[in-house]
Amino acid sequence: MRLHPLTSLAVAGSTAVITTAAASWPLSLAVIAAAVGLSALGGTLRPLLPAAAAVLVPLCLSLLVLHGLFFPEGVSVLAQWGPARVTTEGLSFALQRAAQLSAAVLALLVFSFSVNVPDLVAALPAKGIQGRVAFVLASTLTLMPAAASRLQRIRQAQEARGLVIRRGLLHRMAAFRLQAVPLVSALVEEAGTRGSALDARGFGSTGPRTSYREVPDRPLERLLRTFLLLAAVVAVAARLWQAGG
Amino acid sequence: MHPSTALSAGIRSFTFHEEDSPVLRDVDLSFAPGTLTVILGGSGSGKSTLGRLLAGWLSPGTRGSLHGHLELAGTRLHFNGSADDPRINPAQWGVQVGFVPQDASSALSTVRATVAEELAFGLENAGVDRAAMKAAVKRTADLLGLNRLLDRHPGTLSGGQLRRLAIGCAVIAEPAVLVLDEPLASLDAAGTDELAFLLRRLLAGGTAVVVLSQAIDGALLEADWWIVLDGGTVTASGTPEDLHAAPECLPAAIRRPGPEPKSRMPARGSATWGAQAAAEPILELRGVAFGYHGNPGRGRKAKAATRGASGHELNTVLLGIDLVLLPGEIVAVTGANGAGKSTLLRHLNGLLRPTSGSVLLNGKDIARVPVGEVAASVGLLFQNPRDQLFERTAAREVRFGLDRRFGADEAADRTAAALAAVGLAEAAHGHPAELPASGQRLLALATVLARRPAVLALDEPTVALDGNGLAVLDTAVRSAAAAGAAVVLVTHDVPYARSVADRLLALDGGRLLGN
Amino acid sequence: MSSPSLTLPSPAPAAARKRRVLEILGALAIAGTYIYLVLNQPADITGGPGSASALIALSGFLVGAILLVVAVLPTLPTSTMVLIPVALVLNIVLGQFVGSTLVPFYLDAIGTVLIAVLAGPAAGAATGALSSIVWSFFNPTVLPFAAGAALIGCLAGLAARYGLFRRFYLAPVAGFLTGIIGGVVSAPVAAFVFGGTSGVATGAIVSAFRSMGDTLLAAITKQALISDPMDKAIVFAAVAVLVYALPRRASLQFPFVRRHRVLAGKAPEQGS
Repeated sequence: MRLHPLTSLAVAGSTAVITTAAASWPLSLAVIAAAVGLSALGGTLRPLLPAAAAVLVPLCLSLLVLHGLFFPEGVSVLAQWGPARVTTEGLSFALQRAAQLSAAVLALLVFSFSVNVPDLVAALPAKGIQGRVAFVLASTLTLMPAAASRLQRIRQAQEARGLVIRRGLLHRMAAFRLQAVPLVSALVEEAGTRGSALDARGFGSTGPRTSYREVPDRPLERLLRTFLLLAAVVAVAARLWQAGG
Repeated sequence: MHPSTALSAGIRSFTFHEEDSPVLRDVDLSFAPGTLTVILGGSGSGKSTLGRLLAGWLSPGTRGSLHGHLELAGTRLHFNGSADDPRINPAQWGVQVGFVPQDASSALSTVRATVAEELAFGLENAGVDRAAMKAAVKRTADLLGLNRLLDRHPGTLSGGQLRRLAIGCAVIAEPAVLVLDEPLASLDAAGTDELAFLLRRLLAGGTAVVVLSQAIDGALLEADWWIVLDGGTVTASGTPEDLHAAPECLPAAIRRPGPEPKSRMPARGSATWGAQAAAEPILELRGVAFGYHGNPGRGRKAKAATRGASGHELNTVLLGIDLVLLPGEIVAVTGANGAGKSTLLRHLNGLLRPTSGSVLLNGKDIARVPVGEVAASVGLLFQNPRDQLFERTAAREVRFGLDRRFGADEAADRTAAALAAVGLAEAAHGHPAELPASGQRLLALATVLARRPAVLALDEPTVALDGNGLAVLDTAVRSAAAAGAAVVLVTHDVPYARSVADRLLALDGGRLLGN
Repeated sequence: MSSPSLTLPSPAPAAARKRRVLEILGALAIAGTYIYLVLNQPADITGGPGSASALIALSGFLVGAILLVVAVLPTLPTSTMVLIPVALVLNIVLGQFVGSTLVPFYLDAIGTVLIAVLAGPAAGAATGALSSIVWSFFNPTVLPFAAGAALIGCLAGLAARYGLFRRFYLAPVAGFLTGIIGGVVSAPVAAFVFGGTSGVATGAIVSAFRSMGDTLLAAITKQALISDPMDKAIVFAAVAVLVYALPRRASLQFPFVRRHRVLAGKAPEQGS
């Protein structure tokens, strides 16, 4: 059984919101475990892990160094080297924050790596604001590998012209100009043609739209989405009310 | 002239914003249903601007100012370059006039995951219901032979398939007029035949077809009417027979079919040949084989290199290539689109490394030499000149990197000489991107010529060149060879290859065959 | 005379007013959230993670950014719409690359600033916000910075509008000032949502201030004042190089560039 893309988005989004609102250490760990499990089940663990690591490793390291070593508010000192003081409060702050952020990030990444982007685009109404956001998302995802391979071609073409990139910041910056100028002007020019093409194919028209791709949706899922949305709102409201009261 | 017209235009002038001289002036045209009109003109003659203007892709007012009128389906719009000119509704105009730009891939939406959905994109925006869309997609796919590709991602198509898809997107709404910009450029013989067949079917269905071209191709001889555009204005028009009878009406910028009468360079006498026989080879390929299975990193590179190959499942491109290049000889390698010609060329300077076999430059293996260094001896000109150009003026572009190698005086001399050799001396201070397509290719050629490499390797050099550009290329290639350089060119243009080369080789099934 | 279907009617002013209201609401949400957070911060950080501040920072800034996108996106012409994905590709590819190195810069706004210069402050703001939203598809941690990115786009557009891209040396100055404002506004997000910064190099700078006894918000704001102005000065200079390298026909197709004479008549001389 395959979920409607908006349902998986609602699940991921509300999980991230509720975990942040709850700020509970066991819940964060449970969400992390569930996210990794789900991703393994769906077979997307292989691409997901490096992407998650690229985001989370520097973030968590930075938190640990920052709060583990320097937390002026901390009282119970575990160790001290010069200005650096390891405190219980600092460590627990860092670990809790790291777990909570990891949970939210993983929940959202499981969605991005499992969703079928064309289905997601087709599920959003083509007209108006959502259609335009969907266009930007889909077009960016298509252009990214295209831009990367064009950059590769530009590098080859310039190497073939005898340009050798040398070490050093100034040389790197000069090399940036050599490669960015052809890349950006080609992309901008192509975008100009694409703009005319899309206009001619009715991209800017304001009338009703239809969709060629069928994305099945069930009433039960629609109900589930409403429920998840409400749950997220309630979680946020409860936390704010608690803080205010 | 014609019983009825689908589209007509009376353009007094069209000028881009902040430019002094108009791109088009005094162009009067009309196109009747079921007729094929060919607008012939060299690079920079204004034909792409004209095509876009006719198709509503260049809205008067937003891109430039138009004086004159456009008439479509009985509605005549008058423009006089003022703020209260009518504003064209591109979607409605697009339903009646389809346009296929030169670079077909830039006409695609980039947001649809299959060929079928890409075809349906325009219908979705018009709110057509799904059953009607399915029927239209089926009909268009039948017309263009895209049936077996309907579920493929548009990004995986070859150049020829992409062009057919772009045509499909333009004709799915059954427009009364279809305008094609350089549809035959870089198509091999098979691709040209397919396109000619498609045009005949559209014409039979009553579509007015307009082809913009800088070359007279066999397929265009069937046209009802030829219009010659030169310097932004119509200089001649008539049936193909009329204009053939009066060749002085066709400017030199328009390329003629078949091998052209070329002035053989005087330097290429028998003495050169005798010298060659004794000379040492400059570059030698020994048993070079190349494939990209099992190594993803290299696979991606090779895929980018062989764009236009029939698909990514292909994994062996070259099988044991032997080639010896002597100073002063011109070797042409021909082959169909996707035969691996570009892949072969990229082995000459080390951009691609052979999976087995070796490449020797002046007797030394280049396996461990970086590309940037090999490039001092092997100048390679790529298909897309824009990838190589990044400076603000043509002169700076050619001079780039020369100062460090040769000193300021010699750099200035070489720059001037290279620009003069490609006929761009007057454009030396112009912006490279503002040169017409033909001029950009020649500028890229000048950047390579200025370094006077021992081997000149050219990838599809004739594509995008107009008649004048071709003559310049021809002279440049011959004088480089006369000065002792070995020239290799890969091309699908067999007549040109035959006219220029000392040796003609064909790449087929990964092997080089002599003729 | 002309049939109505082939031509477009003149644009209606009523819709423009509704959009202006949304823009103002979005700006108010962002400004209000910032002021609330700055006034309430001292008690908060020791109160443990997941506190109300994180939620307020997240929701206030996100709502503001989304309102801006909703207000601006439908008004953009197709020629600008197709450029936004190009800008996002530039942002993400360069940002991802620089973020992975140990340089205390981000360089993740080149595309946003490019659009702002070509299409104006509104388009710049929408691109900045969308950039964060779409990038969060691969890296959800950039989502909370959507409001800051929108602000950078808007300020870059204003700089272009008032001629700061006509002289090559003025662009980095404008970038420097933009960086100061952008850094100060984004600091509460880093402090309250993340409790730190997302990079190791920037984290080290914050640590240095913390070791001198600063509050987390003060330390992150100071770090932002060190990194952001330089970062944006580099970005603005890079964009100036890029827009002057564009062929004139390409840049003049944008009405914003023509109306406000964003670019000098001829490319100014600059060192290569």
